[in-house]
Amino acid sequence: MREFLLPKEGFRTVFVIGKGGVGKTTTSAALSVALAKRGYKTLIVSLDPAHNLGDVFMTKLTDEPKKLAENLYASELDMEKLIKGYLKHLEDNLKHMYRYLTVINLEKYFEVLSFSPGIEEYATLEAIRNILLKGDEWDVIIFDTPPTGLTLRVLALPRISLIWADKLIEIRRKILERRRMIAKVHGDQKFVLEGQEFTLPKDEEEDPVMKELRKYRKEVEFVEDVLTDPGRTSVIAVMNPEMLPLYETRRAHESLRKFKVPFNMIVINKVISVEREIPEIKVKLEAQERVLREIMAEFKDVEIVKVPMFPEEPRGLERLEKLGGMVVEG
Amino acid sequence: MPKRILEDIRAFLKGFGSSFKDQSTEYIEFEERELENVFALVLMGSFVGIPSPPTTLVVRLMPHMVKEMHVMQQRAVNMDDIFGEIAGMFDID
Repeated sequence: MREFLLPKEGFRTVFVIGKGGVGKTTTSAALSVALAKRGYKTLIVSLDPAHNLGDVFMTKLTDEPKKLAENLYASELDMEKLIKGYLKHLEDNLKHMYRYLTVINLEKYFEVLSFSPGIEEYATLEAIRNILLKGDEWDVIIFDTPPTGLTLRVLALPRISLIWADKLIEIRRKILERRRMIAKVHGDQKFVLEGQEFTLPKDEEEDPVMKELRKYRKEVEFVEDVLTDPGRTSVIAVMNPEMLPLYETRRAHESLRKFKVPFNMIVINKVISVEREIPEIKVKLEAQERVLREIMAEFKDVEIVKVPMFPEEPRGLERLEKLGGMVVEG
Repeated sequence: MPKRILEDIRAFLKGFGSSFKDQSTEYIEFEERELENVFALVLMGSFVGIPSPPTTLVVRLMPHMVKEMHVMQQRAVNMDDIFGEIAGMFDID
């Protein structure tokens, strides 16, 4: 069995990434079935808004884990619901804090905010964090992800958020340092706004901004720690033996290396092999051969699995298990 | 009568001391205001066309930022006379 698919420290998280339509969902479903059969309590979660995990398992899935077989649970996250929930949370927070804003019709504003750039990534990250927080319930958690672009942005988000938080903590520390210096001479600084007097906090422990920054940093750090730990996270890229998926896999490999997320394996799906020569697909086969050669030469540090093109799409637990065995065992 | 003179002297010394105190922290206060302004600006960067931190973080910090937002607003109001403020601080007439 491949080491990077097994739980080592606590639970194992596996992200299955790749271009749209290469077979990410089938591969992740197959992997989950194979791991569950080998006795690991496995949860497979679809983060892809296009949701076809349920189609592969031939059952209806919701955002609550549904038991499909012994040790096998599956769920499909409803991204629209998640984004709405995420915005609702922000809205409540805002309404609670700025009571005077309730006169403005905030609902209208939040309706537009759901289309604001980046919201989907934050909501996805929030969903991943909530699943990871309850990670101890499982041995392996498999994420069937949306097409590469969005996934890479989500996986990069914790690192970027940490950089932001650190930078803001640094400035905040300087502000508080100055406040302490001034307080030593003048006593506590007061700030009056619209007749209300506030005492400006000067210690890190009493400053709500610093407290919030630290809390946020801790939350993001937890996700970042899981994502960058080779003992807890693995990424599997799925591609077809064609040039465009190869380019995309190459880019994903580079960017995950930059963010220190372990990239362990490439599954080359739908590899065509023929026993006798067929002139009609000769060009296609030559192109496939070229891509395979390039992958072998380029990705020496990752494991490569070739999955043949099946006459029928592998759906249902039995077929998925056969395919999963190829991915798990090699 | 001597009591009043004593009170006057005390008030004079107090004013003298407080003026020294004010002068001694003037630069630090200026620096603090600038840092608060930068902090608020960084958080609200998207309004002025610079990249801003994750939305979640901004929304979580905003409710505690009354003073910083006030400083930022004041800074925007006094923007046209920023050199005047610095010149005043260095006693340049």
